[in-house]
Amino acid sequence: MESIKQNFITIVILLFIGTSNTEGYFIYFLLAGIAITLVSGVLSWVVFRYRVHEDELQIKKGVLVKSNMYLSKDRIQVIDITEGLLQRMFGLVKVEVKTAGGGTETATISAISRGDAEALRSELRKKRSANGEGEEEAEEVYEEEEVLGQWKLSTKDLVFAAFTSGNFGLIASILGAVSGQMDEFINEETIEYVYEALPGYSDVTLIVGIVIAIIVISWALSFLGVIFKYSDFQLEKTSKELIITSGLVERKHITVPFDRIQAVRFVEGVIRQPFGYGMLYVESAGFDQTQKGRSIVLVPFIASSNISSFLAEFLEEYKEPEYQIRPPRRTLWRYIRRPNYFVLPLIPIAWYLMEYGWLSLLIIPLLGYLGWMRYQDAALGLGDKILRMRYRVVSRTTAIVKRNRIQNAETSQNPFQENKDIRNLTVTAASGAGGMGFETADLSSPDTSKVLKWLMNEPLEEEEGEVSRPAQTE
Amino acid sequence: MNQEPATRIHKNAIKAWTVNALLFGLFWFTPSIIQMALAINHNSGIGTPWYHGMDWLLFGSIFLASLIFYLLTGVLLPNIRWKRWKYDVSEKEIDMLRGIIIKKRTLVPINRVQHVDTKQGPIYRKFGLSSVTISTAATTHEIPALDDDTADELRTTISTLVRKVKDDV
Repeated sequence: MESIKQNFITIVILLFIGTSNTEGYFIYFLLAGIAITLVSGVLSWVVFRYRVHEDELQIKKGVLVKSNMYLSKDRIQVIDITEGLLQRMFGLVKVEVKTAGGGTETATISAISRGDAEALRSELRKKRSANGEGEEEAEEVYEEEEVLGQWKLSTKDLVFAAFTSGNFGLIASILGAVSGQMDEFINEETIEYVYEALPGYSDVTLIVGIVIAIIVISWALSFLGVIFKYSDFQLEKTSKELIITSGLVERKHITVPFDRIQAVRFVEGVIRQPFGYGMLYVESAGFDQTQKGRSIVLVPFIASSNISSFLAEFLEEYKEPEYQIRPPRRTLWRYIRRPNYFVLPLIPIAWYLMEYGWLSLLIIPLLGYLGWMRYQDAALGLGDKILRMRYRVVSRTTAIVKRNRIQNAETSQNPFQENKDIRNLTVTAASGAGGMGFETADLSSPDTSKVLKWLMNEPLEEEEGEVSRPAQTE
Repeated sequence: MNQEPATRIHKNAIKAWTVNALLFGLFWFTPSIIQMALAINHNSGIGTPWYHGMDWLLFGSIFLASLIFYLLTGVLLPNIRWKRWKYDVSEKEIDMLRGIIIKKRTLVPINRVQHVDTKQGPIYRKFGLSSVTISTAATTHEIPALDDDTADELRTTISTLVRKVKDDV
């Protein structure tokens, strides 16, 4: 309830901005802005109330539009505690309480002391476990749950993870877009200067130089990003949930109850895969839908060879079945051709419009190779209760889904596939407020039927053939 | 399970879809025709476009093409769409088959269903049709154009089946 401190932060920030910008009458706008922020900040603090009352978390807030939020305790999925840098300076944390359901709702209590947050957390969870167990509410006392297993990211792994982070592709494209805007720097003079500075200059070397510069800068940024995000990464297992703590500047504390886990996804990035490493995500229903990517990073960096033992320790239900189904041989050329469909119409255009447009021809074998790798990687395994599906878009993904967590399965078939008797298969698991689909292309029709059948819990027909079962028409 | 689903949606669906497509098609069809006529008329004044002197030929052929496309979406597609739409609801799953060019078959395990709704727009109401919407934690599926009674019955059936097997999310 002492969240006035939150407004100190706002004020401090605004004062900083204000003093560093004392040119012209612009300052008045800033002052007005500060005043408004200050007043609204104080007001929203004045009216903000939360309490736990009769199995409900109740929050009242809003100055003009008043809103009351009631979260029933036994609907609460996840309680996350975040310490931002500024909040940490004041010894405060942000608590987010999340529920599941079609419209996942998140109640945020932005600035309360660490102690209060812990108290609130245990208060909310006490009743939850009581409800889970049954009637005896009174005697149920919350106690810190025993840590059954722990996993930490070593500094060496952290650096390696940052080193191989695939994010830089994304950042590079952003930087590329930004550098496109910087026309003022890229004028005749600077270009000439660069030409003279570069030995054996030409358009090509200039472009290559720029590209390399962008890659290096963005790689450095993503390196730091990973370091900040996953420093002191720690995963703890208790009897009911996994608790993830990580972050250097902003410290995050994420709780993932076991019964909310829908699927596990292991992603091997293009750079990481050759080293035999990847990243492990969990999909969880009711996780904040505004969260980027919705999935929760369970382990930021782990060797592919350690996955099985890791799962056995932390998620013992997720036993990976052997791969039994692969796309049939007759689909190989489809796989190789497919990535090229997008670029083929673009190549003549590039060739025509750009001086070195013909270089774009090099993309064809490259994409063909990607297709070939996709063919190699596509595989599916049906276990007793678990589906394991491996596929590649660019990174290789291995999805492990419990059968009774599959929300739906879909096959699709276009006329060309019909000729070859093959289908695409998509299996969807819940993730956040939406779904996460896992797709494998070009499986033979009997195989997809087998998967659908398995999903519906009908006994699989063994190749050896059980005697009594009549062959079904396919 | 290997058999494809067999239940068809109501035959009136074709009429409803046709009316729907012809009606809403007017929103793009009419303005685009006017726009085209204006554009061709206007351009012929400035410079010498490549179609100089062929304004009406050009306009006519584009008009014809749009008209054919308009009627296609209104008359032919609803028919094919109806023919391709099949579904089945059993104790274990909801099975849907559809798709004009790409054939899609979707399987929703009954115990994954979160809620079932029926809904009806003005055109559907006129033909006595409703569609059934099935939501899971991840996705929403729709069985379109069942007659009102069947739709209600189906909704009840599904929610009864769901209650029988319900386990959370």
